[in-house]
Amino acid sequence: MKLTPTALELDLPEVEKRISRFIKEYVENAGAEGIVLGMSGGIDSNTVAALSSLSIGGNRVIGLMLPEKETYNSKDVNDAKFVAEKFRLKTQICEITPVLRSFYKTIPIFDQADKLCKGNIKARTRMIILYYYANKLNKIVCGSSDKSETMMGYFTKWGDVAADISPLMDLYKTQVRKLAAHLGFPDELVSKPSTPALWPNQLAETELGIKYETLDLILYGLERFMTTEEIAQQLSVQKALVEKVKSRWLSVEHKRRLPLTLKIEYRTVGTDFRLPRHTY
Amino acid sequence: MQKIEAFTIKAKEQAADLVIFPELSLTGYVLRDQIYELAEIIPGPSTKRIEDLAKKTGTHIIFGMPELSEKTEATIFNTAVFLGPTGFVGKFRKMYLPTHSVFEEKRYFRPGYQTAAFSTPVGKIGLFICYDIFFPEVCRITRLKGAELIVCISASPAVRRRYFEILTVARALENTAFLAYVNLAGVEDGLQFWGGSRVVSPTGDLLTQAKYDEEDLVICEVDYSDIRPAETFIPTLRDLRPELFDELKKHSETL
Repeated sequence: MKLTPTALELDLPEVEKRISRFIKEYVENAGAEGIVLGMSGGIDSNTVAALSSLSIGGNRVIGLMLPEKETYNSKDVNDAKFVAEKFRLKTQICEITPVLRSFYKTIPIFDQADKLCKGNIKARTRMIILYYYANKLNKIVCGSSDKSETMMGYFTKWGDVAADISPLMDLYKTQVRKLAAHLGFPDELVSKPSTPALWPNQLAETELGIKYETLDLILYGLERFMTTEEIAQQLSVQKALVEKVKSRWLSVEHKRRLPLTLKIEYRTVGTDFRLPRHTY
Repeated sequence: MQKIEAFTIKAKEQAADLVIFPELSLTGYVLRDQIYELAEIIPGPSTKRIEDLAKKTGTHIIFGMPELSEKTEATIFNTAVFLGPTGFVGKFRKMYLPTHSVFEEKRYFRPGYQTAAFSTPVGKIGLFICYDIFFPEVCRITRLKGAELIVCISASPAVRRRYFEILTVARALENTAFLAYVNLAGVEDGLQFWGGSRVVSPTGDLLTQAKYDEEDLVICEVDYSDIRPAETFIPTLRDLRPELFDELKKHSETL
């Protein structure tokens, strides 16, 4: 198998069709009124907003913009608004700074200097608000996590990853960008650098220490059961880099699963209670 | 069940003699532990109701369901059931149970051990199920038992569409028989089944094909007299080499 960028090529109209059908059927089967999703202005949430709107109609989709003072970037808000207007979905803005300040004040051990712990509060606060809307308006929360960040565990546990469905979770970041281009996004939005925006000037590629173009091919190789030696050789990268990616992928499985319990009884939630999501 | 009834009546209105529904179409494919509540013995309430339907409409009906063994309490087979205007025709229990990727069939099902071909007023009909198509010997034995129309009911997710589009043509062509492939459509637990049911001629031509991804009803006339010229033109059955099967057995035992 050849690890070249063509390996990540998709039949984009077919992918769009499949995702749209997936979203539509899930909303219908759940008996929900529609979808609520967070719009950060980044490529993933913009793409999932567009797909949600295309699949069930923009009047049933609410895009929530949830900015906060520390990382506020008017461009992000404008980019989200642009997509919302282009795909005709409704938006609302909830400024979360007052909530965050209350958290910071309320937590006795709060450490202002620990930007990761602080940043995770932001992601989880957004999750709480999204689920309030979902509860109140009988909607489902549509997540925007992609496969690259999910495999790398590059998200906040119970935060930005929390959702009822995540239609992009089987697409690598570079594939999401191609899908966005296919949906008619301008180049500027398609190639906009990704950031979780947990603190100012945070950039995903800088933090991960690797370009998505390379990361995605490494992950694709791992997905296809290739060895780290084969991947490193084909991509002409250090084996240590591939092993670092693999090690991170394997070490964060706990972020992708329900909480672990020990087996005490006959059938156990999360292990051998094996049920479909739908009922008969 | 209601869909089976509605589609059978609709098919009969279009003069269908044999109506085929996909693998586990009675219950849906992604059942997991709920299968223990849904599996039924054959004959049982569901087959009785569909048998009544076959009698009432004068059609033959093939569909898939989880079959509970009548001798044990929780041994289940993934079964294709064949009913007709005169009652029960036969059944086939899936022989190869996929347990890889998204599939976990060996966790729930016991495999079948018999191929199936039945002489009926609508022809000599063979049955097998989905992943069995990857093992050409299943279809080959079915053909050697005399099946002229081989029915493969299936629950194939979209990511595998290409494989089945190739294999359905290959199985028909290499056996010079008609092959009806009938696949689930729709989304279950994130699995998207690609529909696209089709009838392939003994020379590998597509005689009809249903819509991809959506529920559909297509009807096709099967003219068994097409088998003779196909079998003459590509005489794969004449050219069978039984001694190779001994070698196949030997090598597969020592893989």
